[in-house]
Amino acid sequence: MTISPFQVTSRLVRDVAIVYPRGYLNNLSGEGLVNECGKHARAGMKKIVVNFRETDLINSIGISFLLNVMEDLQTCGGTLCFTEMKKVHLDTFEMLGLTKYFLFFPDEEATLQALRTQGG
Amino acid sequence: MELRKALYNISALADLGTEITAEKNFQEKLGSLLHVVLGTFLAGKGAIAYREKPECGVSFVARKGFDDLSVADIDLGPLLAAGRNRPYRPAGNKALVSAGVEVITPLWDRNDFIGFVLLGKKFTAAQYTEDDLEILGMIAHQIAITLKNHALFHHVTEQLEENRKLYEEMRRIYHDTLQAFAAAIDAKDVYTKHHSQRVAKYSVAIARELGWSEHDIEGIYVAGFLHDVGKLVISNEILNKKTPFTPDEMKEIRRHSLLSYKIISQIKFPWKEVEKIVKHHHERLDGTGYPDALSKEDLSEGAKILTLADSFDAMTSERAYRKKMDVRKALAELKDCLHKQFDDKILLAFCKVLDKEIRGELPEPDILPHIDRGSDLSVISALLEGIIEELSGNDREG
Repeated sequence: MTISPFQVTSRLVRDVAIVYPRGYLNNLSGEGLVNECGKHARAGMKKIVVNFRETDLINSIGISFLLNVMEDLQTCGGTLCFTEMKKVHLDTFEMLGLTKYFLFFPDEEATLQALRTQGG
Repeated sequence: MELRKALYNISALADLGTEITAEKNFQEKLGSLLHVVLGTFLAGKGAIAYREKPECGVSFVARKGFDDLSVADIDLGPLLAAGRNRPYRPAGNKALVSAGVEVITPLWDRNDFIGFVLLGKKFTAAQYTEDDLEILGMIAHQIAITLKNHALFHHVTEQLEENRKLYEEMRRIYHDTLQAFAAAIDAKDVYTKHHSQRVAKYSVAIARELGWSEHDIEGIYVAGFLHDVGKLVISNEILNKKTPFTPDEMKEIRRHSLLSYKIISQIKFPWKEVEKIVKHHHERLDGTGYPDALSKEDLSEGAKILTLADSFDAMTSERAYRKKMDVRKALAELKDCLHKQFDDKILLAFCKVLDKEIRGELPEPDILPHIDRGSDLSVISALLEGIIEELSGNDREG
């Protein structure tokens, strides 16, 4: 299996930071995801969306990093949303009992709509 | 759901295998292993502590959280008494409990205590189940083996480095001894000061030009240093005689190559034919040399190299009974004696080296520093070019 280098980019839509992890969330480079989310949280962004459209694999190491993101958002009282996540990954989060720590939406538009409704 | 959980645990064990075998440095590997454990059990905090050698202390090598916890605060007694690679809840250990450690697992490989793994409470606030502890035990065993392998590898690397240093030291002592021997040999004859050293250097230069391996080059270097060791047995009166030798004296002088052979045959060299090269450094291609009157076909390349190096230095050095030759004359003499005394392939290599040294193509010249400072290098260069061209033609023909 060829492991593609893991990359993270993000963009801001009003008061929402949308983070795009790309590649396999399965090694220490996944720390970039934590750093990117942390960067926005520290800048006062309380709504963070992680778009998994280009994330092919999330393994135990990836889960460990996502726990970090969830914890950071919990600490600052923010809202964490996941979107465009593969069903297999969503099922894993459900089985692990983690779905109560984030909101899930099928696509980015629905996520932003829901966050607008939420206000704040 | 149970099936999904079982699959997740299996894939976590596979992740562990991937990280253990990944080409990462040790610190990165430990970081990844810790994250596998944290992700598998959804623990927010965790740490791996490691003891490389039994005489060393245990220290944290990877951790997330538990920043204020020190290994010194942990009572290792219960840990050592617990089951090997069996996780347990450290209820009685105040330091661990107050730091938020929920589960501790001692790491063992066979009879060696390697360290331990700490896990904090689960992010979901769920309790660790017996199944969790069972799987953690399996993971801990794999981590213990990884740490032990690292310790063994580190130990072997240290041993290798120590052996390399010892070898280098022995090699240095060996070469110092050789030089001391050579100095003793050369001191016997006031006219041959540093002769052995120069012959060794010239021989090395020729062998390198001929493409010899570094191992074999070292062998001829040693042969060069020791080729006249038999002279230690010859009387000083004869060696330093200023008048021509009588037939008996000449016979005595000629004993030195056989004596050198006999002396160094007592040494078991790691290089092939050192003693034979030394024995035959006064043989000639036409079969009129000594001690065995061998002809071209019977002489090794090493012996032919040493013969030429020895002769060139003898010609260009002062002797009790004659003045030294200048380099031009010596080169002409070598050329005149081709096929009778010297091999054309060896002379060609020698001329090429000297030519390169004069042109400055060799950073550490071996022959040039010993040539008279007053020599006209352009004249020598022209002479060398002529010989090289002529012998290269021979080489192509033959």
